[in-house]
Amino acid sequence: MQWIALRWLDQAAPVGTSCASPPSEEAARPALGRRGGDPLACLAGMEVSIETLGWWALRYTPRVAWLDEALVLEVSACERLWGGRQGLMRLMVAENVVPNTRIQKVEGPTSLVALARLRLFALGQKPPVDIPSALPLHTLTAAREHLDVLARMGCRTWGDVSALPRGGLSRRFGAALREALDMAWGLRPERHTWLTLPDSFEQKLELPALAENAHELMWSANRLLASLQVWLRARQRGVLALELEWTLDLRRYNGVDLPPHQSIVVRTAEPTQDMAHLRRLMSERLALTKLAAPASWLRLRSIDTTPWAGASTSFLPEDNRKGDKLHELVERLSARLGAREVLVPAAQADHRPEAMQGWQPALRKGAPPAKSKPAKSGSAPKSDKAAPAGSQQPDALFPPWLLREPLRLEMHDGHPWYQGPLRSLVGPQRLEAGWWGDKADDEGGHPAVRDYYVAESPEAGLVWVFRERPSGCFASGDVRWFLQGLYA
Amino acid sequence: MGLPSISPVFPSFASAQHNVWRGDELGTADMQVVGTGHAALDTELPGGGWPIGAMTEVLQHRPEAHVWQLLLPALARAVQARSGPVVLIGAPHEPFGPSLAAAGLPTEALMWVRSEASAARLWACQQALRCADVAAVMAWLPQARVGELRRLQLAAAQHEALLFVMRPEAVAQSASPARLRLQLVSAEGGQMDVHLLKRRGPPLAQPLTLPARNARMTALLAASQWRRQRSRQRDIEEIAATKDATSTAAKGATVVRLELRKRREEGAHAVDRLAVA
Repeated sequence: MQWIALRWLDQAAPVGTSCASPPSEEAARPALGRRGGDPLACLAGMEVSIETLGWWALRYTPRVAWLDEALVLEVSACERLWGGRQGLMRLMVAENVVPNTRIQKVEGPTSLVALARLRLFALGQKPPVDIPSALPLHTLTAAREHLDVLARMGCRTWGDVSALPRGGLSRRFGAALREALDMAWGLRPERHTWLTLPDSFEQKLELPALAENAHELMWSANRLLASLQVWLRARQRGVLALELEWTLDLRRYNGVDLPPHQSIVVRTAEPTQDMAHLRRLMSERLALTKLAAPASWLRLRSIDTTPWAGASTSFLPEDNRKGDKLHELVERLSARLGAREVLVPAAQADHRPEAMQGWQPALRKGAPPAKSKPAKSGSAPKSDKAAPAGSQQPDALFPPWLLREPLRLEMHDGHPWYQGPLRSLVGPQRLEAGWWGDKADDEGGHPAVRDYYVAESPEAGLVWVFRERPSGCFASGDVRWFLQGLYA
Repeated sequence: MGLPSISPVFPSFASAQHNVWRGDELGTADMQVVGTGHAALDTELPGGGWPIGAMTEVLQHRPEAHVWQLLLPALARAVQARSGPVVLIGAPHEPFGPSLAAAGLPTEALMWVRSEASAARLWACQQALRCADVAAVMAWLPQARVGELRRLQLAAAQHEALLFVMRPEAVAQSASPARLRLQLVSAEGGQMDVHLLKRRGPPLAQPLTLPARNARMTALLAASQWRRQRSRQRDIEEIAATKDATSTAAKGATVVRLELRKRREEGAHAVDRLAVA
């Protein structure tokens, strides 16, 4: 068995003072739990949570556990994969997940020995030659309660205690001390609560201060996003949808009952492990959100994740253009400007010009790049795609600009007028469609009985106008002219 | 003492000479270009087309006029080459897909960003330039300042994007970071004059004249004009014939007229019947 014990230290603080408490203080403290105060105190100012550190370590070995203030990893089965123990430790330092910190890393044959050496290292003491017998007693968690008694008995090292008669030692100090010593010598199997990765990501975080506006949430959300990235990498998944929820600190505000939580959902079209895009989307969404009341807690939850296929790249230089992906652009534009402002056309089978194309939000159209790329890679699929949309006949005689709401033209002496008198050049082109539609509902559109003309305006150049043809059912008194398109 | 210092400099200067652009000749392309699709314009542009990775400014009186006629061939090529969308930012009207598809720009290759605020347009423009999949960006930026345009120009250069910025005529005299500036003016007879305000080359004294309408429209207009002329001529001939008839015999003239009217009515009835059948 080979164990590595890890501890994170603030880079700025000198060795042995920031996280490692002096031994006297440690001795005075009651027995530490599995996740004793030390790692929490140590990592309070750091940008990732305790859980995240465990998830990060899970990428190296499946056997990871918290032992007091240190993270211990059992690496005997996996160290060859990482190029030896030294290589693995170097890798851990290089891939350190917590920015601006230093990793203290120490190895040992059992987890307790590794932890004891780590504690000595943190104190700046050299480990003894004879391990584990010569290790000082204050490095053993189980012996900390009894340090004074044991010292008076003349026991200063682990070897001194283990030399005592087993029965008497157990009766006097409890079975835990003897058990710990057996584990340290490898005489008894070690028991740990191994860390596991949850199936879905969910983390809560208390904000350092009450957040008054949505923008202040972003700093803490960044910490959660960093954790999410670690989780995604460990589980080999890409995220598609996220929910950021914050707990409101007030129940009532300005006489209005408030819900306990508010949340936003961030979605992306393609699974990603890259947090930069999600962070940008989230900050755009938060910028548009108004907090109903100051927020105190933040929670990030993954709604939808898919297995991560990895990014595939091409050897061809023209395929490897630097820049964002199209779906990222669409999502970012839609997040800030609103989904209704970023549109893509969809051809429709209709003869009325205003119904020939519908504009849909680009965001909702599934995956626009995935749809358009295969259509253009070969000529055959392109023609296939053109066939269903063939109802929309490309015609060079249509104007390039369309007025969705036809503009009613003024009449001067019975002649239509648009920036001057219109002179009819081509026409009429008769259109009679939409009779199936009812005027009341918008689904079928309005019936259109029109004569289209290409006319010339002295100011605006060529325009596309139509005259509503008075027919039996829709007869109206006067002739109405409308402008529907603009040529050059 | 001066000689040894000059001699190492001189060869490097000589080797760099092909990179020197003289003001009286048309600059060569040091970047990719897309052919404009107008032969007359290609010969006058440095490199023979719209520059990729630089801003092209199009100035005109009305924001919607002539833009498509000028840019459509290049946009169609860019979409074919890059298979991404053309992003329209702040277009003055709704682009009509069937018409653009006829010129080779597929309908699904359009993306329309509607935003009124100038800052939002600039931001959207910058974001679109940063995207690798976008084939071209067309932005209508009537209120953009020089500093903002410079940032767009830098973004276009950094990401090698095709960028067209449409601005009003009034800014023709002010400074601009654009590599290429054109002013479009409508001319008589369905033509447009292209004034090259700025290019890497000698100033162009005469504006280029390009057709302002596509070939089918021009043909249709010519045909309808010819038909109108012919019918007018026939009317004149008929009137002349009627006058002749009146001069010979008053009774006969009325008969002829009646027949004419009758024939026309019959024709109308026939059309109606066809339509009913």
